[in-house]
Amino acid sequence: MDLFLQLLANGLVIGTFYALSALGLTLVFGLMRVVNFAHGELYVVGGLLGWSLTDLVGLNFFLTLAVVIFSLAVGGYLIDRLLMARVRGQGEEPTILLTIGLSIFLTNTALLIVGTAPERVVSPFANKPLFFGPVVITQSRLVLVAISAALILAVHLLIQRTTLGRSMRATFQDSMAAQLSGIRTAQVYGFTFALGAALAGAAGMLLGSIYVAQATIGDVVSLKAFVVVILGGMGSFAGAIVGGLILGISEAFWGGYMSSGYVDAIGFGLVIAMLLVRPYGLFGKHAERA
Amino acid sequence: MSIVKSWPVGVLGLALASVGVHAQETIKIGVIQPLTGSVAYNGTTDVNGSKLALDEINAKGGVLGKKVELVIEDGQCRPANSVSAAEKLIQRDKVVAISGAFCSSSTLAVMPVVANYKLPLITGVSSSAELTEKGNPWFFRATETDALLAKAFSKILYDQLKLRKVAYIGVNDDFGRGGVAEFEKQMTALGATTVMKEYFEHGTSDFYTLLTKLKSSGADGVFVAAETQDGSILVKQKAELGLTTKMFGVGSWATPDFIKLTGEASEGIYAAVPYASTMTTPKNKAFVTAYSARYNEAPGKYSAAGYNAINILAEAIARAGSTDPEKLRDALGRTDYEGPNGHFQFDSKGQASGFSVVLVQLLKGVPTVAATSTIER
Amino acid sequence: MIFERNCLWGSLAAALLAPLLFPNQYALHIGVLIMFSVMLATSFNLIIGYVGEFPLGHTAFLGVGAYTAALFSSRLAMPFHVAVLAAPLVAALFGLVIGAITLRLRGPFFVIVTLCFAEVLRLIANNWIDLTNGPMGISGIEKPVWATAGDALQQKMAYYYVGVLLASLSLFVAYRFVYSNIGRAAIAVRENRFVAQSIGISPFYLGLVTFVLAAGIAGLAGGFYANYVSFVGPEVFGFSFMISMIIMVLAGGKGTLVGPVVGAVIVVLLEEYLRDFKELRFSIFGLIVMAVVLFLPRGIMGFIARRHESYPRGATGDA
Repeated sequence: MDLFLQLLANGLVIGTFYALSALGLTLVFGLMRVVNFAHGELYVVGGLLGWSLTDLVGLNFFLTLAVVIFSLAVGGYLIDRLLMARVRGQGEEPTILLTIGLSIFLTNTALLIVGTAPERVVSPFANKPLFFGPVVITQSRLVLVAISAALILAVHLLIQRTTLGRSMRATFQDSMAAQLSGIRTAQVYGFTFALGAALAGAAGMLLGSIYVAQATIGDVVSLKAFVVVILGGMGSFAGAIVGGLILGISEAFWGGYMSSGYVDAIGFGLVIAMLLVRPYGLFGKHAERA
Repeated sequence: MSIVKSWPVGVLGLALASVGVHAQETIKIGVIQPLTGSVAYNGTTDVNGSKLALDEINAKGGVLGKKVELVIEDGQCRPANSVSAAEKLIQRDKVVAISGAFCSSSTLAVMPVVANYKLPLITGVSSSAELTEKGNPWFFRATETDALLAKAFSKILYDQLKLRKVAYIGVNDDFGRGGVAEFEKQMTALGATTVMKEYFEHGTSDFYTLLTKLKSSGADGVFVAAETQDGSILVKQKAELGLTTKMFGVGSWATPDFIKLTGEASEGIYAAVPYASTMTTPKNKAFVTAYSARYNEAPGKYSAAGYNAINILAEAIARAGSTDPEKLRDALGRTDYEGPNGHFQFDSKGQASGFSVVLVQLLKGVPTVAATSTIER
Repeated sequence: MIFERNCLWGSLAAALLAPLLFPNQYALHIGVLIMFSVMLATSFNLIIGYVGEFPLGHTAFLGVGAYTAALFSSRLAMPFHVAVLAAPLVAALFGLVIGAITLRLRGPFFVIVTLCFAEVLRLIANNWIDLTNGPMGISGIEKPVWATAGDALQQKMAYYYVGVLLASLSLFVAYRFVYSNIGRAAIAVRENRFVAQSIGISPFYLGLVTFVLAAGIAGLAGGFYANYVSFVGPEVFGFSFMISMIIMVLAGGKGTLVGPVVGAVIVVLLEEYLRDFKELRFSIFGLIVMAVVLFLPRGIMGFIARRHESYPRGATGDA
């Protein structure tokens, strides 16, 4: 029973982290129908930026988080306006290829600048174990779960309650109509991508304080994010959260009761099954367009 | 088609020409190490040790009246890349010998290449026992094998640490699997039981599930075969989960990178390594001083490995009196080298013996020697 | 069509003559890599250029072919020609199964699910030690008799010419496919799926046929590679081959037959030339991909073909 509870706790914690890191991806897809293959690399940039500011410069954790979010938002906006906008009308393939090229470029430039060594974002929260009965968890993980939840809530409010959020949703539903009603759709696309990038970067920095901030992990992060997003449904918030938790818990139990070797395969197996049975995921909602 | 093909002619021509000009002036030794990827930490320190040896050799006037030059390639600990690197070093750079390729499977892939082109290959790191069983006369191993290390220390672990129920964790590659297999064999022969055996992938960042399993397995000791990056994360997370199981590892556990990364979490961990900066051999003090002065940190296992490999090669070239491959190989066979971790001689299979390996315990960030053993022929 | 055919014959002539110009081992080694890359690029091009979908998991078939050849050679001690024949067949079988599942999806879903398949295969290769020896891989694959006769230079040359043979075979098959009824139907689907369906073409069936063919060619490339390098590990399923394929086909020109050839030559030479600039190499690759997508979406050959068409000559046909 102890084993079960600890594994469950592990799964919930890591599931929340998966959800956080996939949020940017699902948002960009849901609002822009763009699969950002550079998502993992934006996460990496956030992590490395967070590390360099907290470790090399000694800046405060929360201030750094703000800086990371802001920088990645700006970066995301520029990427969208300068790169993505050029291929926007041409269908899905050019954007896929473009973001793949971007991901290759970002990973290797990061490698050039920072090197391969894994770094840590300096966190003000302790790593000492806290005991809740048979379950052990560290203070920093608990706090991070709380911060993740807060971020998710904040983004949800942004999209549902603010003018910007409304413009985003309108543009997604029908960009022509949105333009006709006076929304500057080009800017909205930019802001959406900026939001996605900022979330990816924030996840990178936060998770970089308990895992690693490293130039080479972009691929893995992207893959896990894809799994979460497909399980939960592209474009769905609730889907990202549920998908993340499902992935986290399945991995924890498989790894705990079976073997660690094929743990990563669980996610892919679930994806393949999901795509066959319910291609739009658990919470996906849109229909196929001609 | 011909438009596309013509400019590389120029490039290749220039490259070959420039190589030709320099070949007279320096003796080139090729180095294949992982400079990127999850063992890049360790590969880089190997190159650091190699460069230190190079400078010391050149400061004394080089070898055979010429300066020695290192041509360094990134094998990425991948067989295909290492083979490509070897081809380039041999064909384009015309090296006289190669030091590499770190991971046993990469070294294994390079071995037929050097046999084909006929030039010596030396490794200071690859520990898989089968390398010296391949009957490749051009291959020399200047370090221990997993099997030898296991034999040297299992008894001590069994007696001193009283390990009876042992868990084994290894990184999923030939090193991790080989290490686990060898130590399990020895420990079980002494009477210990295996309560868990798991492998993890290079680059894993979350070991909670694995460690949770460890906790519920009831082990009184856990053996870990891992390198700096993975091992340090594992150790830190073990402390985060409040696990107090005795731990001992092979790999980069006594290196300064590892100690720095793990911080307090490394307290009390044992490691079985062929080199530690606290060894008290005559040559070690000078080595540690020189290395620390240059790189601002103490040397570790891989630094010593790189250092030894280059020195052994240089001494062999001097002994052979030429860079002719056959003579060089024979000279290598007659190696009698004194390194920071002891004496090195090669047997007929190219396996080194006579040097020391140590069991250290990390106390307050210092790898304190708990036991020493000499690798016998 | 005629332009393409002439280009292909020209490349073949150049390939056959090349060893006479560069009779050294390193150049021949590059030549072998180029032949291998031509096969890979051609197979990837069939799917991305003629089915119109983007299989980010295409390395699955390369890997299956490589492991098949490796296992046939080392475990079953089969001779070279049997192993190299088995590789494309097994890969095509995998192509049939994977294609049947994945071709129901389109766009980014297709991309991701093919990637998932490739990753699952990589995990299996990495963990099923009994079959694949895990990360240690299968090494010491026996070289065929003709590759051990003669000195090192002659051995390399033998491999090179076998490579030319296999690459020509792949291109021939691809050429015949593209300029057949099936090929033209596939192009129709690529251009406008719904119109094609309305005249009775089944996109799924066509996609599957193309997919299986492409998988077979990739498997052949894998088998050849396994034998040449004489070592196969789980990294054959890895992303670096994927990146090379993407650039080769994109930069060379997708949807043309000569494009992959040009792309293969450029990329292999770039990779070797940039070997000295290790980390920079892939950054440049990333930039190239982006630049091609933004400015030269049809690649070099696409660009040349367009220019060629705009000259007032006869009908030259378009692929």
